[in-house]
Amino acid sequence: MPSNPRVLKNVERALNRYKGYNISFEVRDGIVYLYGRVKSYDEWVDVGLRVGKVKGVEGVVNKIVWEGFPWDKVRDREVRRRRVYEENVNRVIGRYDVVVIGGGVTGTAIARELTKFQVTVALVEKAPDVAVGATKANNGMIHAGVEPPRNTLKRKLNVKGCLMYERWAEELGFSFKRIGSLWLITPRTLASFKKFIPEPFYKVVLKYLLPYAIVLKGRLNSVKGLRVVRGRKIFEMEPNAVKDALAAVYVPWTAIVDPYEVAIALAENALENGAVIYTNAEVVGFIKEGDRIKGVVTSRGTLLCRYVVNAAGVYADEIAEMAGSPEYTIHPRKGVILLFHKSTGPLVKHCLAEIILPMHPRTKGGGINPTVHGNVMWGPTATETEDKEDTSVDKEDIEILLNKYSTILESFPVEKLIRYFAGVRAATFTEDFVIRPAKWVSNLLHVAGIQSPGLASAPAIAEYAVERLREMGLELRERPDFNPRRKPLRTIRDAGLEEIDQLVKVDSRWGNVVCGCEMVTELEVVEAIRRGAKTLDAIKRRTRAGMGECQGSRCILRLAEILSRELGVTFSELLKEEGELFDGFVRGESP
Amino acid sequence: MVVIGGGPSGLAASVKLEEKGYDVTILESERELGGILMQCIHDGFGTKLFNEAFSGPEFACKFIDRVRDLDVEYFTNTFVKSVKVGSSLKEVVALNRQGVLKLSCRAIVFATGCRERTPFEIKVGGTRPAGVYTAGMVQRLVNVYGVLPGKKVLIVGGGDVGMIVARHLLLEGVEEVTIVFPEAWFAGLARNVQQCVLDFGIPFKPRTVVKEIVGKERVDGAVLVNVDEQWKPIEGTEVFHPCDTIIFSVGLIPNSSQLEEMGAEIDPRTRGPVVNEYFETSLKGVFAVGNLVTVFDYVDDAVETAFLAAEGVEKYLQGEERREKPTPLSPGKYLRLMVPHRVEWADGRDVVAFFRSSVEKENCWIVAKDGSGGEIFRTLKRYVRPTLLERLEIHRDLVDKAGRVVVDAE
Repeated sequence: MPSNPRVLKNVERALNRYKGYNISFEVRDGIVYLYGRVKSYDEWVDVGLRVGKVKGVEGVVNKIVWEGFPWDKVRDREVRRRRVYEENVNRVIGRYDVVVIGGGVTGTAIARELTKFQVTVALVEKAPDVAVGATKANNGMIHAGVEPPRNTLKRKLNVKGCLMYERWAEELGFSFKRIGSLWLITPRTLASFKKFIPEPFYKVVLKYLLPYAIVLKGRLNSVKGLRVVRGRKIFEMEPNAVKDALAAVYVPWTAIVDPYEVAIALAENALENGAVIYTNAEVVGFIKEGDRIKGVVTSRGTLLCRYVVNAAGVYADEIAEMAGSPEYTIHPRKGVILLFHKSTGPLVKHCLAEIILPMHPRTKGGGINPTVHGNVMWGPTATETEDKEDTSVDKEDIEILLNKYSTILESFPVEKLIRYFAGVRAATFTEDFVIRPAKWVSNLLHVAGIQSPGLASAPAIAEYAVERLREMGLELRERPDFNPRRKPLRTIRDAGLEEIDQLVKVDSRWGNVVCGCEMVTELEVVEAIRRGAKTLDAIKRRTRAGMGECQGSRCILRLAEILSRELGVTFSELLKEEGELFDGFVRGESP
Repeated sequence: MVVIGGGPSGLAASVKLEEKGYDVTILESERELGGILMQCIHDGFGTKLFNEAFSGPEFACKFIDRVRDLDVEYFTNTFVKSVKVGSSLKEVVALNRQGVLKLSCRAIVFATGCRERTPFEIKVGGTRPAGVYTAGMVQRLVNVYGVLPGKKVLIVGGGDVGMIVARHLLLEGVEEVTIVFPEAWFAGLARNVQQCVLDFGIPFKPRTVVKEIVGKERVDGAVLVNVDEQWKPIEGTEVFHPCDTIIFSVGLIPNSSQLEEMGAEIDPRTRGPVVNEYFETSLKGVFAVGNLVTVFDYVDDAVETAFLAAEGVEKYLQGEERREKPTPLSPGKYLRLMVPHRVEWADGRDVVAFFRSSVEKENCWIVAKDGSGGEIFRTLKRYVRPTLLERLEIHRDLVDKAGRVVVDAE
């Protein structure tokens, strides 16, 4: 397809700022390819974002390098991939109608959606467990859809997906609470515009104008039911809200879930309905025939297939390139979250944020939200990072968060911080979801750029993606025996004493509490292992063992004991997530 | 009577109470009695109480044997789910492999010990790969399970536990151990510095902390940074220290969350419950002993609090008279913390107090003053430092006269 001359011109204009640099570009079918060299990684991100904003650009593949570009790492990765490819290309381990790449909430949702139809489905995940990428480090908020720009796919799928969660939660048996969010408007909200607004009007704007502007924005995005709250009402809803809050916008649709529980539930339900999940299976290449993929080559062998779904998160761009249809580059964006002890739960009733304008263009600013388990989270931040797996947290990040959100609540025991962590969002330069058939591979579906609000959109993404597969020629006949229900892992945390007593009488392992902080019993751990948990962190995500104030220092060994017994391996072979927990026996003795 | 926790303090309280003729039940969460001592196979326990240096299990057995002799009822592998405090009767709900246990009792002694401070609580940066542990957990891993955490070990913290674990790992076969800590010198007992670190030539770096943990799947190393006297990192002094294991030994925190949930008053300094001179919490008939009250250096001192609590239980059950208004005991400017927090009973033995100074000083006068600043008494301590928990006895008569007592270092 010839390139639209206006797009060419506008891309050129977007690159104006980098005139002195040796940057060139080409446009193929709406996709802009950038080449050249910039001084820093920040500039690399900036160039990409500028081009991504140009109207008519459907994707930016940023091939520009920056000073200090990690050539060695890229080469090592290529060499390793080629080696693993050669080892596995001739080892066919299965044949499926659809292979979904990536076991995050997006991939598991699509796999589960596909099991509703008479097709064979495999999901491949490079880690030993599902939900270990961005999904595990998400704050679990189901956004209503007020924030995304109106003409985006993420707006459409967010608004739809959010409202699909009741059904998902009911079918899949995960914890879900539609608690609503409260966006506070305070004297700080328009502080940077204060000089333009005469003093007497400042409060009027804050109290009477801005809230309605937000309600209107919601309505334009098709989110109904937003309400303006003022005065005492705010504190009736949120007793601990900062005292100088002038007004607030209440969004009733905002909800909370445990993000990895959602993905695990989806994976378990997909398995039950006949999908096959290959963990420890990293995709290293494809077998192609013309413009079609014939097989997905993984580190565990080759899966022959008719269709491929690329839901590889931060690696989606590399998968797309390997498949022969590079249409976007991921620029990883890290988010740090602080987690507070359960005793702080009662202090926060809604998902809270303080509106500070101008809004950060690339994040909704984060905030404070309770979790379904009664903890409280602060965050996330948003920082560009070179490394797709950079989940490190700087001490400064912690201080920034503690500082930034300290004006939302009147008081909060920040010393009850028990953990912090980071996740990496898979942002593309067009900053929208990319869910469409690949341009140059006829049986590949991109499901990329699923950054926030990806979790909220997941149910809608799954349906939308399956619709696209149908359009691509996949025959979808409904399966009469599809079972939408997944039984949650039973816990005695909130059970009555008689119920507990009866359970123990049936199986004494219900009476062996292995994690005291979160009251997790041996039976839950054994059941989690039976359902596929193979690592300490996998058990943790399924049972919460180790998620309390001691962060596992009291239960790791009890868990390790059960895991080693159930899997029939020694302590030295146990994994935390992907790394070995321990190393060898005292004085070299074996057990 | 229910005693929650079967470590040294809980055992000591149980034995004393059973000897007094009460019917005691011990609830222990681990699979055997003895608590943390069962993993402390080094010696040095009991020097004050028995005038002898026992290993941890040996010391614990002194009490475990006594528990068996006296036929004290105990449940191991038992998790305490909830405790309800009524006006006179208290109810403990526990859970073990036999089912749910409901125990009604007239008094409860909490002896739940302490937990280890996590790297998160000191806000260490970086990633969280496999290979990051706390010292007590590693001690258990090595001594109870016979497994090593790794080959090249970095230990963070210059206290007793860190030093003991360092020596132990070296003896058990790790290739390399280095200790870093933010102070100018080790914080633990002098005998441990000599016997654990210097005698074995273990390398150590004072005024150094871990800025960042590096590694994706397993630890690759740590970014170390020097700190000044206020423990503030000095920019530009960062170095990368390769290792595969990082062990944090950065303090112990009383396990007081259950008491806190029940509504007991908590001292923000000790993070344990507020107690009176017989180690009774702000909930009448609920006592707290040992490391749950404040972290002790010597198990012997922890055991003493258990003995005192046993006497207190007796006073409580016999309905002895309390003061109209308790006399508060509080630490002054130069003390970091002090227990007990008040004198509540009308009569009784002299008050046994424990304090930690916030300053380091040789030949230091410890002075107790009354509410109006008048001196009640003074005593000379040869050497006080923040890392030593000092014991102090105050004459009850003197407390009686003062409206409140403030103890301070001079």
